[in-house]
Amino acid sequence: MSTEKQQPAGNGRDAENLLSVRGLQVHFPIKKGILVDRVVGHVKAVDGVDLDVAKGTTYGLVGESGCGKSTLGRAILRLIEPTAGTISFDGVDVRAQRGEDMRRLRRRMQMVFQDPLASLDPRQSVESVLTEPLRTHGYGNGKADHAKRVRELLDVVGLPANAAGRYPHEFSGGQRQRVGIARALALSPDLIIADEPVSALDVSIQAQIVNLLEELQEQLGLTYIVVAHDLAVVRHVSDTIGVMYLGALVEESPSDDLYAEPLHPYTIALMSAIPIPDPKVEERRERILLTGDLPSPANTPPGCRFHTRCPFRQPKRCADELPALREIRPGRKVACHYAEDIAAGHIRPAESVHDPAATEVGTPTVVAS
Amino acid sequence: MSLQVAESAIQQAEHADEAGGGLWREAFRRLVRKPAAIIGAIFVAIFVIVAVFAPLIAPYSPTATDLSQIKGPGHIPGPSSTHWLGLDDLGRDVFSRMIYGARQSLVVGVVSMAFGMVGGIILGLLAGGLGGWVDATIMRFVDMMLAIPGLLFAIGIAAMLGQSLVSVMIAIGVVNIPVFARLLRGQMLAQREADYALAAKSLGVKRSRIILGHVFPNSLSPVIVQGTLTLATAIIEAAGLAFLGLSGADPAIPEWGRMLADTQKFLTSAPQLVFYPGIAIVLSALGFTLLGESLREALDPKNRR
Amino acid sequence: MSLLDVRDLSIVFSRRGRRDVRAVDEVTFSVAAGETVGLVGESGCGKSVTSLAIMGLLPKRGAAVGGSIKFDGTELTSLPADKMRGLRGRDIAMVFQDPMTSLNPVIPIGLQVTEVLRRHRDMDAAAASKEAASLLERVGIPDPARRLKEYPHQLSGGMRQRALIAMALACKPRLLIADEPTTALDVTIQAQILELLKELVVDSGTALVMITHDLGVVAGMCDSVHVMYSGRIVERASRWELFEAPRHPYTAGLLASVPRLDQARGEKLEPIPGSPRDTIPWTQGCAFAPRCRNRIESCTQGAPELVADKLRPDHDLRCFNPIDVAEQEAVTL
Ligand SMILES: Nc1ncnc2c1ncn2[C@@H]1O[C@H](COP(=O)(O)OP(=O)(O)OP(=O)(O)O)[C@@H](O)[C@H]1O
Ligand SMILES: Nc1ncnc2c1ncn2[C@@H]1O[C@H](COP(=O)(O)OP(=O)(O)O)[C@@H](O)[C@H]1O
Ligand code: SF4
Ligand code: SF4
Ligand SMILES: [Mg+2]
Ligand SMILES: [Mg+2]
Repeated sequence: MSTEKQQPAGNGRDAENLLSVRGLQVHFPIKKGILVDRVVGHVKAVDGVDLDVAKGTTYGLVGESGCGKSTLGRAILRLIEPTAGTISFDGVDVRAQRGEDMRRLRRRMQMVFQDPLASLDPRQSVESVLTEPLRTHGYGNGKADHAKRVRELLDVVGLPANAAGRYPHEFSGGQRQRVGIARALALSPDLIIADEPVSALDVSIQAQIVNLLEELQEQLGLTYIVVAHDLAVVRHVSDTIGVMYLGALVEESPSDDLYAEPLHPYTIALMSAIPIPDPKVEERRERILLTGDLPSPANTPPGCRFHTRCPFRQPKRCADELPALREIRPGRKVACHYAEDIAAGHIRPAESVHDPAATEVGTPTVVAS
Repeated sequence: MSLQVAESAIQQAEHADEAGGGLWREAFRRLVRKPAAIIGAIFVAIFVIVAVFAPLIAPYSPTATDLSQIKGPGHIPGPSSTHWLGLDDLGRDVFSRMIYGARQSLVVGVVSMAFGMVGGIILGLLAGGLGGWVDATIMRFVDMMLAIPGLLFAIGIAAMLGQSLVSVMIAIGVVNIPVFARLLRGQMLAQREADYALAAKSLGVKRSRIILGHVFPNSLSPVIVQGTLTLATAIIEAAGLAFLGLSGADPAIPEWGRMLADTQKFLTSAPQLVFYPGIAIVLSALGFTLLGESLREALDPKNRR
Repeated sequence: MSLLDVRDLSIVFSRRGRRDVRAVDEVTFSVAAGETVGLVGESGCGKSVTSLAIMGLLPKRGAAVGGSIKFDGTELTSLPADKMRGLRGRDIAMVFQDPMTSLNPVIPIGLQVTEVLRRHRDMDAAAASKEAASLLERVGIPDPARRLKEYPHQLSGGMRQRALIAMALACKPRLLIADEPTTALDVTIQAQILELLKELVVDSGTALVMITHDLGVVAGMCDSVHVMYSGRIVERASRWELFEAPRHPYTAGLLASVPRLDQARGEKLEPIPGSPRDTIPWTQGCAFAPRCRNRIESCTQGAPELVADKLRPDHDLRCFNPIDVAEQEAVTL
């Protein structure tokens, strides 16, 4: 959102990072059994993610449904306990915090949820929703301070003061999301993780919430992680974008560069699949169609995670060697063995690739539409 | 029409919302729109009024006998102008006995339901709130109880506790505990995963407060619906136990199930004696069921505007 | 001669104890064979109800359909139920937003496809199952022989939607109504499904009614686009014109409020104020008036009619004070 403040990642200025995540994993056990549960495998929802978010910037996370975006966001806040990895927030080791310390740390890291109705207790009035965090952390001196803060919060998110006495189901979707944002702001946090903050809203409302988030960032100097499947929205709000596939980042890039030149084959396909509301552009675009679906995260393919669907797949390395996320240009990281060759145009997407071992997968084709 | 009209239309829409109020008030408003709910409520209301005001309504004492009407051994007089539903084999006024019987049945229904519900809520709250091994232990126990057929289980308990109305109520209550416990626990587990519970956690709200202040109240509505339905089945089960001679209550105090049991030997000679308590049990159970089912629909968040 | 002709369609829901809801009114559009027509609008504007009315799937009680729906010259609104059932599935097919609700969860996919084939195309069991496999193959489901034996829950969302399209295609329908067919899917899967639908229109000359809230989807495939607001069509034009220079303030507002992947970042989005719930009844004026930046006095004094645009031929508008094309071009430059 604030491009000028953005720090290119990985140039040794870690002090500027509000949040640093290293090797984060969230594995959910798959249990089976009638009397005694046996662990028969793991869903690797998040499988080794490194990311840095500079203070006052926005980091966008995109990817297909089920690739682990929400899980990553929740694990950073320890709403889901990570399996491995470190999370450092403003120099504090988040995973080492216990009990009361963790509870106090929570006031500095907040979350905005996808479904604004589900994220509000249907039995709580807005007033009660907004005073709960204040009561929990002993804000100010009693009721009068709380009431004043509630009015402030409603004002900041653009809701009328009389909203305080109303209940969540009495609001429209956009207004509910404003309540959710007000709640996240109640304790003046530094970091807000917004999980699909607009995707449940009507098209004409989405822009209102996007603008509100941007204004709040300017006013309050907030740091955001915005999770969404809509790349156009994410690109609009983010300084840096991370593209996730099957629990891992496959590309990370300043958001302006990502559209101009996507480097990872998955990003290239994703970009080409997003419809643009302009027939002239649509007619000219070359669409790279992926076939098949996301493999199950309980059974991630060996080698490059994307090789079962990759139109650029090469006979060597792709199927048996996991590509690391490496910086091939300043600020641009990609997890593909052949990223340089693809960027240089030495490797073209195959007209027809077929992996007989992967039955889920058909034939990637290139279609000029 | 002018621009102000547009503005006022928006305002009106907002005012319509303001009339909304809490969730229960809304549910009540939806409830009173349902014909089934109204019919159920009327049945239940009649039942309760009759039970409470029995001494005022009944023309005779339930134990008073009017032997003058009995013309010989085995004669059971049918309805007449003095005895609207006739007399039973001992010359007691059936209408008065039916009215007093409502009292007993209501007490049995409410007490056994309350017993089962409170027991179930305690177990369900512990299991759903604490989770882990507490949950596992309680649920194994509950599963075991559920594995025994309900009526058989109740008969066993009632027989063990001795013949009395109290033991019937306890038996029926105990049989219903696992139903409530399971329902509440399942609902709480689902609600614990709900985004609002996660939101509270992310605010640093204490776990006990999340469970008791958010998850538990939001898990109660199916339990309340189940309570209403249980009232209906409890009345029928109590009748069943009485029919099997387990209620042990003073035979002089009328109770529908017992009336049904005691009069079955006259099924061919005086079928009306079986018919009256039978129909009363069915109608009161139906009333509670209609009300409970309507309540379930009214509380369903999907039916919200 | 168009295949489907919808004229002055109105749908009123009435329920005891509630005010009547006029969900759709004055909706007129037509689709010719091989043509794709888009219906766009936000949730609740009446898109799904319109498609259900065409399919004859609205509840008989409580929903009053007015106006006329002609399919190949046959009036559908007055067609007896059994005749309608014959048309449905054979000549007219529909793909729903949520694939799970329109598949039977306890019957294998294969049986569901072959049943359609046997009923509408009089095939025997062997021929039907062969045809079913080739249909699944055609919609891009790998290993169709195995998939035919599976139940809906064993398929992913994208595959279920493709299976549903396969069922819709089973009878080679002349008209296909797709109600938000890709809304529940990921963009990469969406791209596959849209490609499939485009091929279908080109190869078999099927007439397609594409219902969506996504302007991007419309831009890529619809010959003409109808924008709906609060139950009425407010603008109708070819996709070229509509996106080049939208004339209705609502259409323009929608376009300005979505970020575009191919445009420079940094500019603020211009949201439409208020929410779709802030409407006034069409009988009192323009339903969009409470949210409209171009509102003038007459907008709340009576309802605007859908009439041909004075500036452009073949472009219909329901607006008293449309956006100036010159002003528009100034903005886009
Ligand atoms: N509690 C859980 N137990 C087991 N598996 C889980 C659990 N939560 C999530 N998963 C799995 O982890 C993977 C990632 O889920 P996640 O919700 O993070 O995806 P997402 O990228 O946010 O998707 P969406 O765009 O649909 O929200 C999925 O395969 C999901 O099924
Ligand atoms: N069965 C019904 N009874 C009453 N109102 C209905 C019914 N179905 C739809 N509506 C109303 O009709 C309007 C249009 O709905 P719909 O066509 O589903 O919208 P969408 O454009 O999102 O598909 C909405 O206001 C909706 O509430
Ligand atoms: S490593 Fe190979 S399979 Fe993976 S994205 Fe690169 S080219 Fe494709
Ligand atoms: S008729 Fe008036 S209020 Fe309606 S869209 Fe046109 S200018 Fe706006
Ligand atoms: Mg998610
Ligand atoms: Mg719809």
